Formats: sequence, C-alpha cells, structure tokens
Amino acid sequence: MAISKEIYKALEAVVGSEYISDDPVICEAYRSGPGGYENGLGYERVMTRIPGCVIMPKTTEDVQRIVKICYRNEIPYVPYSTGFYGPRSHPHIEDALLIDLKRMNDFVLDEKHFYVEVGPGMIYSPIQEECMRHGAYVVIGGGGAQASAIANLIGDGWSPLSHRICLPHRRILGTELVMPDGELLKLGSLATGDDPFWGEGPGPDLRGLLRGYTGVRGCLGIVTRMAIKTLPFQPERLVPTGISPNTALALPEKRVKWVNFIMQSKETQVKAMREIGRAEIGGAVTKVPLFWRAIAKAECKEEFWDIWGKENEQTVANFFIVRVLLIGYTSEEQMEYDERVLMDIMGELGGQARRTKPSDESWIKNADSAGMWLMCGGYVSVDYVIETLTQSTEHGPSYAEVKKQYTPPLMPDYGDPGWFQSFELGHEGYSEFLVYWDQDDDTNKVDQFYLDTSKMNIKNRYYTSLLGPHQPMYLTGPKYGPNYHEFMLKVKNEFDPKWRCHPPVPLAHDVFVERAPWMHYMKDWESPEDLPK
Amino acid sequence: MADEPIRYYKPRADFKLDITDIQNFVYDMSRCIKCKGCTWVDHTYMPGAKFMTRCPSATKYEFDAYGAYGKMRIGHAMAEGLLGWNEKALEVMYACTLCGACDVGCKRNLDLEIGLTLESLRVKAVQDGVGPLPAHKKLAENIAKTHNMYGAPHEKRTAWVTKGIAPDKKADVLYFVGCTASYVNKEIAQSTAKILKAAGTKFMLMPDEWCCGNTPFSVGLYDEAKALAQRNVEEVRKTGAKTLLLSCAEGYRMWKVDYPKLLNISTADLGFEVVHLVAYADEKIKSGALKMKKPFETRLTYHDSCSLSRLSDPWTPYEGKRGWMGCVEPRLKRRRGTQGLYMQPRDILKSIPGVNLVEMPRTRENAFCCGAGRGVQEAYPDFAKWAAAQRLEEVREVGAEALVSSCPWCKNNFAQAVKASGGDVQVLDISEVICASIEG
Repeated sequence: MAISKEIYKALEAVVGSEYISDDPVICEAYRSGPGGYENGLGYERVMTRIPGCVIMPKTTEDVQRIVKICYRNEIPYVPYSTGFYGPRSHPHIEDALLIDLKRMNDFVLDEKHFYVEVGPGMIYSPIQEECMRHGAYVVIGGGGAQASAIANLIGDGWSPLSHRICLPHRRILGTELVMPDGELLKLGSLATGDDPFWGEGPGPDLRGLLRGYTGVRGCLGIVTRMAIKTLPFQPERLVPTGISPNTALALPEKRVKWVNFIMQSKETQVKAMREIGRAEIGGAVTKVPLFWRAIAKAECKEEFWDIWGKENEQTVANFFIVRVLLIGYTSEEQMEYDERVLMDIMGELGGQARRTKPSDESWIKNADSAGMWLMCGGYVSVDYVIETLTQSTEHGPSYAEVKKQYTPPLMPDYGDPGWFQSFELGHEGYSEFLVYWDQDDDTNKVDQFYLDTSKMNIKNRYYTSLLGPHQPMYLTGPKYGPNYHEFMLKVKNEFDPKWRCHPPVPLAHDVFVERAPWMHYMKDWESPEDLPK
Repeated sequence: MADEPIRYYKPRADFKLDITDIQNFVYDMSRCIKCKGCTWVDHTYMPGAKFMTRCPSATKYEFDAYGAYGKMRIGHAMAEGLLGWNEKALEVMYACTLCGACDVGCKRNLDLEIGLTLESLRVKAVQDGVGPLPAHKKLAENIAKTHNMYGAPHEKRTAWVTKGIAPDKKADVLYFVGCTASYVNKEIAQSTAKILKAAGTKFMLMPDEWCCGNTPFSVGLYDEAKALAQRNVEEVRKTGAKTLLLSCAEGYRMWKVDYPKLLNISTADLGFEVVHLVAYADEKIKSGALKMKKPFETRLTYHDSCSLSRLSDPWTPYEGKRGWMGCVEPRLKRRRGTQGLYMQPRDILKSIPGVNLVEMPRTRENAFCCGAGRGVQEAYPDFAKWAAAQRLEEVREVGAEALVSSCPWCKNNFAQAVKASGGDVQVLDISEVICASIEG
C-alpha cells in the first residue's frame, strides 16, 4: 500500500519536514544498485525496490513513533544505517518506507568501564580513534571502517584482530531495540537502569534475536542504541601518514608490529596459528588470499591484473603466509617476550620472517573492504565460517572446486582457497570465501554458484554463517535443523505478526529463487505453496 | 600453466574523459558501492567522533541524494533515461561545491571518476535546458558584459595597482590577478605584487585581463567557459610569458586543469607554466631569495583550498577502450589529488618567525571545503555560510587566533562567517601573512 498523504503528514510530524521525503530524486539515491555488494546479481535485480519514502529519525523515540505509525497503517519499512550491505539491506517490496538512521550517530565513551555507547549511524573508524586515545581498542569488522558498528556487530563484526579481542556477540552489551510494533525492548543491564555496562540478563539474553539467522537485515526490529565492549590497548600513538590513496598508520615498533612469515606447507601454517594461540601471544594471526597482496601493491585495477596475471595455480597453491600482529599491551618488555616466543615457534616450524613495513594499512583503524571491488567491480563474500582451524583449511579447497565450475564469470583466482585465521587465540578458526565478477557479464551463473555452495555445504556437512539470511531457508532448514526454519518463522510471526519489518526477510532468498527463472532448475527442495511469488 | 594473463573478453567500449557526454561516465556511476569513501574523512586520518566527514553537501543535507554515492545513482538513472530533472534534482546537483573530496576519497580504493561525473551532470543540466540556476545566469551575463563576475566596470580592473606597485610591460612572469583580487580583495593582489618585488621577480599583467570563467565552467556553461579559455590562453601566449602566476586557488585550477580540459590539450601543452603564489614563494624562501624577517606572533591554522590541493593535479586528455573487468586501454594515469600543494604553504608559514602553526582535525585531502566555490555562494548562500561555520568550529577546536588560506574565495567566505557569528578569528590570505613578514 502506498504511503498516503495523511500517513506522510503523520510521519512528518515526528521528524519535521526537513527529514522526510518522497521526492523521486531523493528516493532514487536509495536504490540498491547497480553498484555495491552483490552488485548486478539476480538478487539485486529481482528483489530490490526503490523506497516510496525516506525518513531520518534522530532519537529512539522518533523511531518508535515511526514504527508505530507503520504498524498501525500496514506500511512496510526497512531500517538502513549506511546502505553499504547491498541489496539485503534495501527495500524488497514497492512503496516501503526506508528509515535512514544516519542522524542517530551519538557517541559516548565510558573510560572507567571500558565501553562505548553508540547509535546506528556511528561508524567504526571514529570509534577506534576515540578508543585509542583512551588506551582502548575495538575490532573494526571486515565490513570496513565505514560500516555502522551496530549493523556490523549484529551481522558479522570480526576481523584478524578477533584472534585476541573475542567474538562479536561477546562484545554487545546493553542494547535498545525498537520492536516491529514500536515497543521498546532493553537488553542487558539497560533493562534495569540506564547503565549499559552488561550484556547478559537480567532475564533471558535476547541478543540472539539480533544476530544469526533471522535478526539481521532488521527483520525483527531496529537497534537504536548499543554499548560495545572495548579492550585495553597499548598507550603509544599510531600516527597517520601519507597522502591518499597511500595512507597508513605508522606503528611504534616497540609496541605494535606486523610480521609476515612464509611457511613451507599448509600444515605448518595451521600449526603455527595454533601454537601462537596456545602461547597466548599476538593481536592478530591470519592468512590472506594472495590476490589481496596484489590489490595492496597495485596502483590501479589495470596494474592489479598485470600483477595477478603472473600468478598461476602452482604459485597460489604454494602460498602459505601467516601474518602476525604483535602488540605490547602492557610494556615493551611484554612485546619483546612475545616476539621471542613467536620466533621460537616459527623457528621450530620453519617459518621465514619477511621484511614487513612498520605500518598498518588495513585492520587496526581502516578495514579496507572497499578495495575488494577494485579489480572486477563486483564482489561478495559468499560464506563466513567460524569453526575450527582444521575445518577452515578443509573448507577452502571445497569452495575452490565449486568456483572452478563457475569461472568465468567469476574472476580467475587460480584455485585460491580464501582467507582463514585464528579466532580467540586459536580456539576457533575462521574462514571466508570471496568471489568477484564484472557486473556487465551474464551474472546468472554467479547466482547459481551461490546456491550451489549451499548444496556443497549440506553435502559435506559444513556449518556456515550465511545459511539463513543468504540462502533459501526451506533448502537449509530441513538439512541443518531438521526444522530450524520453522522455529525461525515462529519467532518472526511472534514478534512481527504483520511482517511489516523488512518483508519478506527471512524468506527473501526463497522468494528470489521462485522469482528468478534461471534458478528453477536448481530447486530440488520443497517450499510452501503460499510463498510470495 | 598460465604464464599469460587469463582474459575472457576483448575490449569493447570506447570512452573518453569528455564531460560533454554523460555516457562517458556511466561506468563510473554504475560502480559506486556506497562505501561513502567520498564522504568520510580517510579512515586512517579519522579524527574521532567530531569532524568525521569531508563532504559539505552530504553533511548539510543528509539524505543520501546529496552525497556522491546518491548523485551517482541519480545520475545513472538520468543517463539511462529512467529519471528526469525536477527542482530537487537541480538542488542535488548544484548544492555541491565540487570540492573534489569525493573524487580523492573514491580513488583511494575504486578509481571512479566522481569529480568528472559531477561536472558532466551539470553540463547535462545545461544541455537539457534546465541549468544553470538563475543566480549563475546573472553571473554569466556579468562576465559577458564586463568581463568580470561582479558586473563592475572593466576599466577598474587594475585599480588595485597603487603607489609602489609597478608591473613591467614585459616579463617572464605574468600575474593573473582574477576578478576577486582585482575588485574585492585588492589586498591579496597588492601583497602578491610586493612579494614578487621582494623576491626580485619582474612581472607583468595581461594587457586586458578577463575573468577566468571558473563559475561558468563549474555550473555547466561549457561553451562559454571554453570561449574564455581560448581567449585567455591565446592572450597569454601572445605575451610570451613563461610562467603564469596566480594568487587565487580557483583560478589556478582553471588555468592548470580546466583550460586544458576545455581545449582538449595537456597542461604541459599550454605553452607556459601555471604556478600558484605558494609554490613560488616556498621556492624563493628555500632558495634564500625571499626572507621572512618580521615576527608574526600568532597561533594560526591553515585551510587547504580545494583547488590548490586535491583538485590541482595536471590534466591529460584521454581516449581509450574499456574492456574486461572494466580495465582501460591504454593505461590511464588517474588524477588522485596527490600532486596538490599541501606542504608548501605549511613550510612557508613555519618559516615565519613567531608563527605557531596548528593543524585542524581535517587537513590536506581531507579538508572540509569553505563552501564558497563552484557556483554555491551565488545560488545557495546559506549553504556557503553553513560550510564556513563548520570549518570555523575546527578553528576554535584547535584554539587558533587566525585562519589562513590561499584563495580569495575562501577568505571572503570565512570572513563573512566570522562576522556573522561575532567571532574574533582573524581571516587572512597567505599572501598577507608573507607580506607582513617580509616588510619587516
């Protein structure tokens, strides 16, 4: 149903005429594509719509009033923080209200209790800068320094720094959530007072609503305030240097240092990660895809292809890098100790330290996700997996095999097995698989690849993080549940019985398969008759 | 094994960096990923929870439409014939200082030609009969009638030349004064002349100086700007000058970048070198020809004028093909704003005894535009004042007593904002600061 003049006036009364618009030019700017995450893919073309109206609240109360108006009048709405997450965070049906949260960029740092409190419009790099000034730090997720911290922590929220600084859901403290009907839900210690210092309780810990299979993309409400745990950092300043595009943080080498090691085999690579974790040293321990190094070296996309074109399946298969970030959290002496331990481990495992620049270009303050679009123009991380280090290394080659069948249009990556790293001092292993394409090519095969990876995961019994929000739930639910999809839909129906908050998520990918003819041949699972067509 | 790079497809589309055809920039518009690198301060330099953005337009108007990421989507829809002009579209395209922050931000990662696309969209507005805005048309009429944007009498253009200032009839250096320093901020022209004299440099003026055409070019009046470019370049060539010196950042960009763009030549093919006063003075100070003697006991901060910094990389025409994965052939050397005059003005100020130079949170390629340029002050004066006020907050944040820039546009706009707010920050052009020190 289109937003009537009366409803528009009611919404305008909440934020003022300056912060609401249904002008087609204003709304066009909120189009999902053609560029961006998953750009040019079927999901973007088939599932996304330009909003019918855009509104920009400033406070939680504004959001509540807006949502209540929508719920009462059956207006579908979509919360939107930075818009970087591509089609999944854009309206999927006509005449939706897009609630742009960028004005909600409050920031409070509680130095004593080591947390920051932010609104959904606050991005990561300012948070990191403020934290580092106060001897603390956070993880800037792989989504990038430009990502909304709240959105990123709900969806993902990890990076190589997760080797030390722990999983994202452990860092979400007191949180405020406007439910789909406009009711305000306070989680953690916010439930009993105004101090968000604690994430668990009282009462059931509902942070699981936000994360995981269904909460993401705003289909269970809108987070308007979140306290995020920070951790102690070392005190020396990391000084920004260089002129864009060649900017970096100069590292105080006695307190912060990257060291790159070349290992002889995948086994020693993984063993090194495990041993570093066991020794409880390091701020980050990771293996990166070889072509990321080509991105870092290249001045432009053409040069990337010059560099990358010199690689082949053999050089990729024999690339066993381990990047280690050492941080002297407490003292120079601690840093020296950690470095000696690291060298002992590498000495035993045959790791060769390579000359490494005393600077940080990406991860500490600037997670450079935008660079992923440099070489092809189209990109998606098709899967993220938090499991074990062993599983990480097994999963990658499986992906590489599936990728081969879809290359082209996927970028030739010579069988690169992706990115993997240590999480939580090696107690978990993380892996991520990235694919790239040119959106001007026939991208139907990319859509098919996406779905094929789900079948590959099911076949090999790999757990993955994107089963729910990025794959058909009626495909994955029976295989992983045996009925998790039914539970997810019950949760959705309980909290949002009218399905007004970002419909048809969490069934959006099921709907996409129904609507995209080139996907039909792959559909070998049952889904309900009443699925929106 | 693949010793040869794998290529699936052949090059397939001709394109050129020609802003008269928006189709040349469809690729760039269609590849914007909404990372907002165009809007945020480079994350490495992110100063904290205050002063996070470098795009005045996106910061003031807040809807996505006003950031480059929104303009790319709107422009793309227009280029594809899916969206037409309306009043809001004109505001989106013209309430923008074309300050180049978006362009250098994007080229940190993606190499999209954002700046040229925005210029091309304004040319398209004119081609489609909806642009420029009435205030811009008035200014263009002034230039056509009186050769200056203020509509002031042409014969008064050299009224700034007062006693003690004696341009030569013939010299290797030609000082192009520009409209603002000729008519409004004469102290800048006078200080520049004194600096040249102190350094022992003979200089001449154009026999008949006309407006550089910065605003007509900026608002999409391509043909009018091109005519001025042809006329002015020809006039300078006739004088035989080897160096064209400017004290106006906007003029510097016009001569160095946009005249070559309009004339489809390289900056190197102009036939003379284009130099801003800060580059000239910096060199003279470092060679000892210009001595900073008199102390200038002030805690001051420097504002990077956009056209002197991130917008001033030289121009080279480009025609090529875009092919597989969007790669272009032949290799395109992209203008990323790395050749801006960032250190020179700071070195000058540091060489002055007594100066305590402090940096604002947003500096160099991350600087927040003063808000005056590229047609904004004429059509959106409130926006121009707002942008200047934002910058003055930074000046106050670092406790500076004086704000120095290298462009009369910046000086004027800041001075008006200080006056409006009742503040006590002194606003100076760098030529005045240099002059104050050498006159000791």
